[in-house]
Amino acid sequence: MAQLSDDRTVPTPPAAARSTPRLGLLAEQVLALASPLLLVGLWEGLVRLRVLDARFFPAPSSIIGTFADLLTSGELFRHVGASLKRVLLGFLVGGAPALGLGLIMGLSRWARAALNPIISATYPIPKSAILPLVMLIFGLGDASKVALVAIGVFYLVLINTMAGVLNIPSIFLDVGRNFGASRLQVFRTIALPGALPLVFAGLKLGLGIGLVLIVIAEIVGARNGIGYMIWQAWTIFQVERMYVGLVVIAILGWLAALLLDAIERLLIPWKPRR
Amino acid sequence: MEKIAVRNLTKVFPARIGSVPALSSLDLTVRDGEFFVLLGPSGCGKTTLLRIMAGLERSTGGTLTIARTGGDRPLTAMVFQEDSIFPWMTVEDNVAYGLRLRGVPAPVVMEKVKHYVEKVGLSRFARAYPYQLSGGMKKRVSVARAFAADPEVLLMDEPFGELDEQTRLLLQGELVKIWEESLKTVVFITHSIDEAVMLADRVGLLTARPGRIKALVDVPFPRPRQAYEIRTDPACARLTRSLWELLREEVLKAKAEETAGVGAAL
Repeated sequence: MAQLSDDRTVPTPPAAARSTPRLGLLAEQVLALASPLLLVGLWEGLVRLRVLDARFFPAPSSIIGTFADLLTSGELFRHVGASLKRVLLGFLVGGAPALGLGLIMGLSRWARAALNPIISATYPIPKSAILPLVMLIFGLGDASKVALVAIGVFYLVLINTMAGVLNIPSIFLDVGRNFGASRLQVFRTIALPGALPLVFAGLKLGLGIGLVLIVIAEIVGARNGIGYMIWQAWTIFQVERMYVGLVVIAILGWLAALLLDAIERLLIPWKPRR
Repeated sequence: MEKIAVRNLTKVFPARIGSVPALSSLDLTVRDGEFFVLLGPSGCGKTTLLRIMAGLERSTGGTLTIARTGGDRPLTAMVFQEDSIFPWMTVEDNVAYGLRLRGVPAPVVMEKVKHYVEKVGLSRFARAYPYQLSGGMKKRVSVARAFAADPEVLLMDEPFGELDEQTRLLLQGELVKIWEESLKTVVFITHSIDEAVMLADRVGLLTARPGRIKALVDVPFPRPRQAYEIRTDPACARLTRSLWELLREEVLKAKAEETAGVGAAL
């Protein structure tokens, strides 16, 4: 009881001071939205005043115009669709076996001993450096683009999945063994869910590398796709189109990251939210 | 009737130089349905013995047999000292783990899980994930998981060691209540004499490393036991004292060996 009355004598901060955090949050959000808009406005102004060279930095308004033209003509959808299809297929083709192999390598010392040296030795090779070889093997069509993305995603998912399994505290494997879990049950009930947070870390890194690789592959040899669109714009000196390509990739990367986050929240409901 | 028969059990761990004997020709019989507490100084091989019983470690020599009553019940289910419930499963799914592994039909699993979740007082948290639970609640889940698996023998490795005293006393009481209904054989490890006296039908005292049984002591007090009533009972005081006298020698031996080991290493 004494405690209670003591609490009441503690001076409460004035109302204004208490509401600052909420006000601060609003200000933060406004600022986060206003600063890029301001930058775009500044850009537009500088181009109109001819301070910025419009040949290299076309005004945002003209980029938006080109963007609209490409949208209405359907050309943009064609390129984005082609790139998306390749990245998605590459993710599946590279990610699925990487997940399985990563789980096996995480659980089995023998598999690690046999495969780890090969993985460690080939991982640092820049994936862009093997593009010519990939095109030689898979041809100039979609297959070589898918393969390049798949290779990039494969390593990142594999290495992260393996690390995920190795990071599972051994006590959980002890529980599985004590309860008589079979190998397959250990996979399903312990290794996979336990490794899932790092699997997603691998997928997110894979997304970044996947976008890099698809653009490189499309620049080198393709008839469509965002990389092709940017490269073609360069050859005919259509700078606005190049900017449209950059903006589209940025948006795609952002949306894909949001999607991955949503899937992660769905599949890992047991992780405390921060 | 004997439930667990340990004969001449030996465990030697390989070390960098030579080897470390953890258990040496240990003999022990645990009766069916009894609450057996293993008491010993730290590092005496209690946990090693329990891990061999749990099938997590192989003995170097000797035999260990656990009598089967039939069916596909697992031989043992262990409650570990550390947090061992799966963070990626809800309370319900954790408790159901042992049953689901064996392919028990879903309705039966549901019923058993509900029963044990209720027994440990976590019905309101049945769908919660471990990160939402306190340390004591997590321990309750792992006790429920072990009972629900319906093993021949329950193994407990200092399960309440990391808890604060008040929570520990509560959980000891709850454990005994669940155990009394289940008629299960329990092997429980502790280094706390109070805990041993509170819980055990029989206490097995282990020697310093290499571990073997030094003495078997009956704890004849009627159940249910109340922690603070039992402590004021003079018979209990006598028992606690004689247990400490037996244990003290071994603790001193273990300490002496520890310092000798450090001396040799220096």
